[in-house]
Amino acid sequence: MSGDKDKGPVNVKLLLIGNSSVGKSSLLLRFSDEQWLPEDESSATIGVDFRVHKMEVKGRRVKLSIWDTAGQERFRTITSSYYRGAQGIILVYDVANRESFDALPRWYSELETYVSKSVVKIIVGNKVDKEFSRQVTYAEGQRFAERMNSLFIEASAKTSTGVQEAFQQVVERILDTPELWAPAMKKGVGLNSTDGGSMPGSINLSETEGNANEGGGCSC
Amino acid sequence: MPTELPYAADAEVSLSYDELEVLRLQYQRELSQSHVTTQTKFNYAWGLVKSPIREHQVEGVRLLQEIYRAEPTRRRECLYYLALGYYKFGNYEEARRFNSLLMDKEPSNMQAQSLASLIDQRVTREGYIGMALAGGVAAIGTILLASLIRRAARK
Repeated sequence: MSGDKDKGPVNVKLLLIGNSSVGKSSLLLRFSDEQWLPEDESSATIGVDFRVHKMEVKGRRVKLSIWDTAGQERFRTITSSYYRGAQGIILVYDVANRESFDALPRWYSELETYVSKSVVKIIVGNKVDKEFSRQVTYAEGQRFAERMNSLFIEASAKTSTGVQEAFQQVVERILDTPELWAPAMKKGVGLNSTDGGSMPGSINLSETEGNANEGGGCSC
Repeated sequence: MPTELPYAADAEVSLSYDELEVLRLQYQRELSQSHVTTQTKFNYAWGLVKSPIREHQVEGVRLLQEIYRAEPTRRRECLYYLALGYYKFGNYEEARRFNSLLMDKEPSNMQAQSLASLIDQRVTREGYIGMALAGGVAAIGTILLASLIRRAARK
């Protein structure tokens, strides 16, 4: 992202995080390919998956690179290496699984370690198609999101309710926060960068904000 | 607007020196205490496989093979990263073999599908290069032969 002030696309890096089986990959698949895989055909993400998606928001062309991280604990080190340079974080839980909602504070403390404060966050309560087995109310989700200074939406990757809106909202908020993407502005640095880095099972990401990741695979 | 595929995130991005060093030190520490946890070993193997350095990739693949044998519950990710490792250092046959073991178990695994087409692409591309090289050699050979014949004919 350099120099293309007027017409060039804004590059935005988004990260999907949350417990396993809450539907992160399904949300992404619905959003980018308008597809949905039934549970018995979908498999847990290994490490991290990646998609590029182009859209227009507020009259600006936006190129999204979306990193879909594995929710399983065993991949935590792997996924933490992908936080660097993200401008938006999508935290997903399953409205029919209280545990996945209760885990959100832990995901936020992970964010504190790896991304700057100004990064846009949205909480997505997925699987609202399972209304009859709901364990977390809309109000509860919303209250928590407010407390965490995050956007909030309920969605269903299966029926596609709220999916487009979720991504749209994050991107809009990012565009409203030029310090996150405008050229020549320094990006915030993770809180406890530089020192240490030997927390068990985690890599502390210090130096080199951004580009390394973003340029990566998408010369598209 | 469909996404550009195929893509394997972990094949493209490597860790910084410091990041890999954190994983290596943790592995070495546990090794010296002669109790290496699978998690530590896996993390280090993953970091090695992602590295652009060939010796790292080879070592990563070796560690992954050990984990694959010892830990049945870790097999799917081992298969994936083994395929990725072999893909990275250009052993496409082995890459394909491990990836299709994963696809046998999970036919609709999109990461494996994506890696499969990456491997195919690379094989095709290198096939063309190979043919071009062979073609070039053949052409030069023909020219040499022709000039020899001409010289011989002149005498």
